[in-house]
Amino acid sequence: MTKIEKNYKLISWAIMVIVLVLTVFFISSMRKNSRMETNLDEYMPKTHPAFVYSDQAEEWFNIKDGILIAIENKSGIYNPQTLQKIKDISLDLIDMEEFEENDVMSLYTADNILGSEDGMEVNAFYSSVPKSEVMLEELKQNVQTNDMVYGRLVSTDGTTALVVAGMKSGTFTPEFYEQIVEFARGFESDEETIYIAGRPIVEGTMALLGPADMKRMVPIVIVVIGLVLFILLRSIRATAATLISVFVSSIWAFGMMSVLNVPIYSVSTMIPVMLIAIGVAYGIYYYNHLNRYFLDNPDTSRESAVKYAVRILFAPLSMAAFTTIIGFISLLSSQVYPIKYFGIFTAVGIFTAYLLALLFLPAAVIVFGYKPKVKKNVVKSVARGSAFRFLSNKLLLNRWWVYGTVWMLIIISLTGIQKVWINSSFLDKFEEDSDIVITDRFVNSKFGGTSTLNVILESEHVNAFKQPENLRLIDQMQNETEKLALVGNSFSLADYIKRMNKVMNADNEEFYDIPENNEMVAQYLLLYEMSGDPENLTKLINYDYNRTNITFQLKGDDSRTINEALGVIKQFEEKLNEQGITLNYAGSGYKALVFTDLILEGQVMSIIISLGLVLILLTLMFRSIKAGLIGSLPILITAVLSFGVMGLLNIPLSTTTALLSSIAIGIGIDYAIHFLQYYKLNLSHSGLKITAIYKTMNQTGKAIMFNAVVVISGFLVLIFSVFPPNRTLGALVSMNMFTSLLGTLSVMMILIFTFNVFAKKKSTKDKV
Amino acid sequence: MMMKTTVKIFALAIISIAMAYQPANAQLTGQQVMEKVYNNPSGDDTQGSLTMTLTNSRGEQRIRTLKQFIKDDGKMEKKIMFFVSPADVKNTSFMSWSYTDGRSDDQWIYLPALKRTKRISSDGKSDYFMGSDFTYDDLGDRHPNQDNHKLLREEKVDGKECYVVESTSKESGYMYSKTITWVMKDNYLGLKREFYDERGRLLKVLTIEKFDKVDGFWTILETEMHNVQKDHKTNMRFNDVQKNKGITESKFTERSMTLGI
Repeated sequence: MTKIEKNYKLISWAIMVIVLVLTVFFISSMRKNSRMETNLDEYMPKTHPAFVYSDQAEEWFNIKDGILIAIENKSGIYNPQTLQKIKDISLDLIDMEEFEENDVMSLYTADNILGSEDGMEVNAFYSSVPKSEVMLEELKQNVQTNDMVYGRLVSTDGTTALVVAGMKSGTFTPEFYEQIVEFARGFESDEETIYIAGRPIVEGTMALLGPADMKRMVPIVIVVIGLVLFILLRSIRATAATLISVFVSSIWAFGMMSVLNVPIYSVSTMIPVMLIAIGVAYGIYYYNHLNRYFLDNPDTSRESAVKYAVRILFAPLSMAAFTTIIGFISLLSSQVYPIKYFGIFTAVGIFTAYLLALLFLPAAVIVFGYKPKVKKNVVKSVARGSAFRFLSNKLLLNRWWVYGTVWMLIIISLTGIQKVWINSSFLDKFEEDSDIVITDRFVNSKFGGTSTLNVILESEHVNAFKQPENLRLIDQMQNETEKLALVGNSFSLADYIKRMNKVMNADNEEFYDIPENNEMVAQYLLLYEMSGDPENLTKLINYDYNRTNITFQLKGDDSRTINEALGVIKQFEEKLNEQGITLNYAGSGYKALVFTDLILEGQVMSIIISLGLVLILLTLMFRSIKAGLIGSLPILITAVLSFGVMGLLNIPLSTTTALLSSIAIGIGIDYAIHFLQYYKLNLSHSGLKITAIYKTMNQTGKAIMFNAVVVISGFLVLIFSVFPPNRTLGALVSMNMFTSLLGTLSVMMILIFTFNVFAKKKSTKDKV
Repeated sequence: MMMKTTVKIFALAIISIAMAYQPANAQLTGQQVMEKVYNNPSGDDTQGSLTMTLTNSRGEQRIRTLKQFIKDDGKMEKKIMFFVSPADVKNTSFMSWSYTDGRSDDQWIYLPALKRTKRISSDGKSDYFMGSDFTYDDLGDRHPNQDNHKLLREEKVDGKECYVVESTSKESGYMYSKTITWVMKDNYLGLKREFYDERGRLLKVLTIEKFDKVDGFWTILETEMHNVQKDHKTNMRFNDVQKNKGITESKFTERSMTLGI
């Protein structure tokens, strides 16, 4: 062993030990510190005015997300057994630590305000369960004549009753989810079916299902990637080293999060996805160069091969890693903290992957040895080489076809982009035939809606909402909005006033209206306070009667439904403003809508910043604006196509899908830089554009193709996931990789050739 | 009427004499303490104005003033209240007749805007009175026989010697799991009461802020109920209280409700 060899060994072992020690350190830190953030409120930018307002309004009016437990009895709920169950569910829920008495609404807890010839009665619908036919029939009559429960707590067909338990948004835990589902199931029988729905349930299911599905799928993804990697690299050691570096970079990224006490957010689960795509690429570039060196110098030593590969990779890898990191750091412009963290820690992971490619991979070769299958490779690479030469020729000859196709794809995509919509829905993340969707659809078909939107009106003037004209505006707003198919019903102070007016006028339907003067309104309100449960009013109006809450029940939690309702509500804003009333929104559905908008805004911003930065960096690195412009092109194409396909296939933007464009940038930059760098190198060697293209296509093109094939085959596995968002993720990552690959190897290659990038002088001889 | 009052006073006298025969240092039982509180004479009728201040956890307040008249003949308590302010509910009146024999209360309301008197009925003593922190049951006299009482200790509160009595309802499903009452030894007025919810957690605290002898009767002049779970408070202040002015029966009719103050 020479001294040089000895030194190499020593350094390699040192690198191994350092990597191991740091990895162990990060793992132990993760064990101690890592925690998953399940409180969705923690994801929201707390200082954003919309969130500040909504949080405040939630506190003012005790606005909560409802857990809806529906009990269905096909032969009707008006029988002692079902009524007993409604009572038991209500009382048991009240007894739970999570709920206060006023959080639980059901036929059992509801007030029945009854009108009669000589007065008004406020009773419970029942306290002890009615047993006789007469009493059951009376109860049925009472329900059917009371709009405050009919169609709200008991379905109009009389087969289903609802128990609603309000939960403060963000307090729901997966543990409680399991507890409440089990609790509700306990009431099922041959006659009664129990459905459990509502936003907390959807969030809870998602929090359980998403990660559980990922846990199942990720090992398969890794195995597939490993297999394909092995087929391409033909070396267990190379495959293992690449996978380890991907794994280690993920550990370091998450380890760093735990060291800095940053919790794991749901978007953080995208970090390994990015690192797989990028880390695998680094491994492939590295072994590609190593193999080439061994091929050209069969008798060389490991040390010189390693040295060569590192030297030749250093510049492009540094540039690629640097630009990718910049791309992810640009996510700091987002207002959403989980996205900022996602950007920072993906950058940490990429930096790790970069260091590992330059230090760990060579060290692994030195320590564990590496035997490229040179003989086979000779045959293969020659075959491949001619294949790439053939491909390059075909593409260059048919460049107008390529341009045409790309333009066409871009135009189609641009029309698609206009159709892209953001979806803040949680429900849409589930299978059409999943329990949760079926339950939700069932409850929506029987009742007003499983989702809510709160409209908050405020006035400077005390007693503003005792004024009939203002109440009438509210009433009109409710009526207009309820005309929308997806708005089930709504509830406001106006409903109470109308009900009281009717009841106090001998239950005459004609009086189901806002009374003429404010004294009447004031006196009805006083009357209600004296006879009903005043807590009900605190959910609607403040003490000075100048701040009120209107609740709309929606049959969907998606952005389209919410925006449609908002559209109608906004028509009343001007009229309300004339009365000195301001209009605002609250509730978790609205917050989710604003939140998704912010994410998208941040994402679009980040893409623009990234593109600008990439353009500048490429221009500086290659000292050519042409190289910068052409090099940015694959990223642009990938991003445009990605959004276009989403629009055309009606895949809405969500937190995860929006972040996928980051892959386009991360991968696109890598491809472009490697291609440009080797083309430049090859051109300076041969001086002939076409030879340089052939050579670059054969080397870099192959590496790019390998990378795409490995990552695509891995992520295609996700298409078999049971959780739709994970399926979309798999499909879109695969597609982004594929378009990046095509964009680089076709359009970019052709443009580099045609526009004489790096060529000293215009040469017409080279024309094919 | 005179007759009844005489009988009542006579009965009270007998009780007092009976009590006087007890050795001075004998321990009173919780039951006895609560009976003394219940039997504390309050006069045949009371009138005065009432200022009710509701304060929620954000410090927002609702202030209402009413004029009230109460007549109690031992079997039935009749009460009529007229709103003085806020202006938009002025002259709204409320009348209730409550019975000691367990019948549910009769209640009427007169809304001047509607110009009609309406009977209202509510099935629960646990309903809150006018959006306050007092339930109808908290306001009325609960008969000591409805609860089991236990004298916990004797202690000094605000310089006043008190009996501390814990009461638990005999009927199951009562809204409070228990109440603890501090009763002043010298006048058998409750000074403070804690209400515990069905889960045994402290729910409300009632304190007597001001009391005095009015026309010869110990009378509570200011009291505050604090719902500690919701941090909601109701303060009731009684002004110009007068006792035994001989309010006539005709004051407590549907017709007189419509006449206003």
